[in-house]
Amino acid sequence: MNKKIGILGFGIIFGFALSRAGASDFDLILGMFLGADYTLVGVIGTAIVTGFIGMQFLKKFKNSTISGEPIKISYKELKPWSLLGAGIFGIGWGISGACPGTVLAQLGEGKILGLSTFLGMIVGTYIYALLKEKYEDI
Amino acid sequence: MIATLIRTIFADPWPFWAGGIIIGLLVPLLYYFYNTALGVSTGYGNLVKMILPSRHLKWIKSKFPETWSWRVYFIIGIILGGFVSSALAGNLGLTSEMGSFTTNVQWPPLLTAIYFFGGGLLLGLGARIAGGCTSGHSIHGIANLHVSSILVTALFVIGGIIAANLVRFALLGGAW
Repeated sequence: MNKKIGILGFGIIFGFALSRAGASDFDLILGMFLGADYTLVGVIGTAIVTGFIGMQFLKKFKNSTISGEPIKISYKELKPWSLLGAGIFGIGWGISGACPGTVLAQLGEGKILGLSTFLGMIVGTYIYALLKEKYEDI
Repeated sequence: MIATLIRTIFADPWPFWAGGIIIGLLVPLLYYFYNTALGVSTGYGNLVKMILPSRHLKWIKSKFPETWSWRVYFIIGIILGGFVSSALAGNLGLTSEMGSFTTNVQWPPLLTAIYFFGGGLLLGLGARIAGGCTSGHSIHGIANLHVSSILVTALFVIGGIIAANLVRFALLGGAW
């Protein structure tokens, strides 16, 4: 239960930061892909560098969680179709001007069309579940 | 002085690095507190389980034993965070606008809704086949120097560039 409340708090911080940084702004996403506005390149780049430094710091000085468990870093293996999936995702990103995290911030901001994107994502995930029934390695 | 500070944090758009640092810190913090990787898109599987007839599907059964897992709470938190951001900036309320899309494209509302639904569908399907999204691969994965995440992110960007240019020239009249 505690974990869920804590995660809820981190989610609020994440959504707030995404919204404040402009990541939930259709024009900034399109501008990023059109090479017209590098705000979000800066946001994502800074996040990656900060995450990298933070992980090095964590490994060097503690290398365990707050409760003393060894940290287990999740590695996402490349599956046969991963890169095709990434291309499909990218096209969806450019069409909707949103991604699975920022669309949630859009919902909170009251953007009604964000609800369309959000419902589309649920259905897209459902289609994956249906495909997975037939094709094991997708 | 304090009013200016509050305004800077809660009302004005942030400089890029401020958002980047806070988002990036979530990667080590989620490992430190919960031994878990930053990521959003997997949680959509929980939402599928909640609202669509899917409980008989193998993938849903094996990956989502707990419907209301922590991933759902992360999703709810992000929605609340967007709400708080809007409320503090004084932009509370529903809007049917979506940036330059709705200013340039004069479609009936239903068609516009279908367009964004289609974009979302590709995002949901693509994220699952790719094994993650912007947060899980591009931020968490690259911050941990994972080669798979670097390759996947390159394809995210290529897809995004192709789609954004198509949208620009086919729908927005080339203007930017």
